Amino acid sequence: MKDKKHIDKLFKDRFKDFEVSPSPEVWSSIQASLEERKKDRKLIPLWWKVGGVAALLALLFTVGNSVFNSPNSDSPIVINQETLPSSENDSEQNPLLKDNVIIVDINTEENNSKTIQEEKENSSNQRTTHNPISKEAIYNSHKSSKNSKVADVNNSKKTTNSNINSFFKDKITLSHTEKEAVAIASEKQTQSGKDNPAIDAEKNNSSLIKKEIIIAETSKTEVTTSAKDTDKSEEQSTNTEIAKTEENKQSILDAINEQNIIKTEDAVAKESALENRWDVAPNFAPVYYSTLSSGSSIDPAFSDNSQSGDINFSYGIQISYAVNKRLSVRSGINNVDLSYATSGIELGTGPVSSALKSIDYGAKQNVLTAFDKGSLDTESSANGGFENITPKSTNGAAEIIQSITYYEIPLELKYALLNKKMGVNVIGGLSTLFLGSNGVSVKAGGFESTLGESNNLSSVSFSTNIGLGFDYKISRKFKFNIEPMFKYQLNPYTDSSVDFKPYYLGVYTGFSYKF
Amino acid sequence: MTLDELIIQCKKQDAKAQGELYQRYSSTLFSICLRYSPNYVEAEDNLQDAFLTIFKKVEQFKDKGSFEGWMKRITVNTVLQKYRKQRVFDIAREDQIEDKIDVEVEDEGIPLDFLLKIIQELPDRYRLVFTMYVMDDYSHKEIAETLGISDGTSKSNLARARMILKTKIENYNSANRAP
Repeated sequence: MKDKKHIDKLFKDRFKDFEVSPSPEVWSSIQASLEERKKDRKLIPLWWKVGGVAALLALLFTVGNSVFNSPNSDSPIVINQETLPSSENDSEQNPLLKDNVIIVDINTEENNSKTIQEEKENSSNQRTTHNPISKEAIYNSHKSSKNSKVADVNNSKKTTNSNINSFFKDKITLSHTEKEAVAIASEKQTQSGKDNPAIDAEKNNSSLIKKEIIIAETSKTEVTTSAKDTDKSEEQSTNTEIAKTEENKQSILDAINEQNIIKTEDAVAKESALENRWDVAPNFAPVYYSTLSSGSSIDPAFSDNSQSGDINFSYGIQISYAVNKRLSVRSGINNVDLSYATSGIELGTGPVSSALKSIDYGAKQNVLTAFDKGSLDTESSANGGFENITPKSTNGAAEIIQSITYYEIPLELKYALLNKKMGVNVIGGLSTLFLGSNGVSVKAGGFESTLGESNNLSSVSFSTNIGLGFDYKISRKFKFNIEPMFKYQLNPYTDSSVDFKPYYLGVYTGFSYKF
Repeated sequence: MTLDELIIQCKKQDAKAQGELYQRYSSTLFSICLRYSPNYVEAEDNLQDAFLTIFKKVEQFKDKGSFEGWMKRITVNTVLQKYRKQRVFDIAREDQIEDKIDVEVEDEGIPLDFLLKIIQELPDRYRLVFTMYVMDDYSHKEIAETLGISDGTSKSNLARARMILKTKIENYNSANRAP
């Protein structure tokens, strides 16, 4: 008798230098999965680009009807859902879960020697998923050898482990079963030398446990499978199912769990990966101011006049904070000059009471004001109301120009669809607009005069902003940005009856600096 | 290629570097998979999953600590994720195991293949606990946290795993001693 050793030490010592090369098929299937993943990766940015543009257009139209969605709703959600192919397929196989469980139950009932405990164990061993087709193909050969031998297993149970508490017995043997089924099957096949395509794979499979183990196993278990086999033969297909599921692919729960873990890990890793989170960018933009409705901001009488937006400029500075690699939050301050012309008017001088109501003329009693063309006809004095007005003759067509200066404080989210040397982003957010100065003036030929200030402008208003951002990374720190933005004003006028829905378009350009 | 270069190339998802990395480490990682999986086929499946995870997450690897250690952790986690959900039957009796049982066995040149086989045959939880504790030096506390079980369960699982293994080794020894 040799010296005794603690079982832990035995295992620890023996497995210290344990190394085994996997079969070459493993690498081939890894390569196949990597290829697949690359394809997926290429597809994603394109999909999102198209999706982003589509979302933008959809929003433009929606906004056009003055129906507001949350400005953030277009910022895309999670992009990197590249899960392992197997887990994707697992979840697709969901409906099969039930079937399998039922099959197991039938199976266990037929084996009347099985206890409830076994059944439990069996169903817990039962894996709920089928293999994705690709994997199935790869391991096809392995599986085929496993197919039918659930029955064998019951025999081996009787002979092994007689020393163990009856308490343990069922459990242990049950976990044996898979293994022994494989071993037995493989032995049969190799010994009988049938033309089974599974043999090659099986050799592979059993390279570790071959020869002596199998021999020991068989001598111990004294396989007498034929009787049970016939019993079971009609359930061949059922067993095939079981064998497959016992391949222990990830269960759906595991898959979900794994995805969650991967996601959180990704999130954590990304957060720690960003070093320069802050970004400052002076910017400059020509802005075009216009309206989505036909009404006039100055007077309802002008609603059928031709109106046109002018191009002015916006400039400011922006600061942004990167939440993760793709998403950043930004704010800043911009000075925005906007102006808007209404033509088809006539000018005249008269008392404040007859003049345009939306304009604050100061303390003057007699003021220069504007009227819809035609309302100052010679007969019009007969209509009353305008009798005090002295029309002013002008050279050429007159127009009213309303100009507004806002101080804009945006709060926007920017999501990167493409984050390479060239970047493509979608941007959405809100701006708070503080009214700076404003004025209404008239212009006709060489004549130009300020009427006064509008009195119906909100001192604080808001706009919803959406846009696309393109950037080019000049260096790690510097980026050139160009961002076409659409900003729709929500409550520019204190008087809600004013049917004027202004928006402005700007193409913001600038350099940004990371720090 | 040095390991550092290899990592850099792998971060770029360079196929050649991935192949090289596999060449270098597949045996080491496969031995982990074999110890934690119930059979050879699943061990190969797990190895594949582990490498796919490694290739995917390699960009997140910071140059802190050993790359090999990092890969081993990913491999162990991959396998654990797969098997830790499996319930071990009969929870009620899990805590009642006697810890003091003699688990000394004779080592009469038992083949490594046999030892591996009986580990793989253990119920999932027993196998994980035994392998983690005995071969990969996890503490019961760590095991309990990782597998979502209590310390006590981890201890009793270990004790039971030892018992099962001991019985099998004794059976093996007596079978081989007999002429």
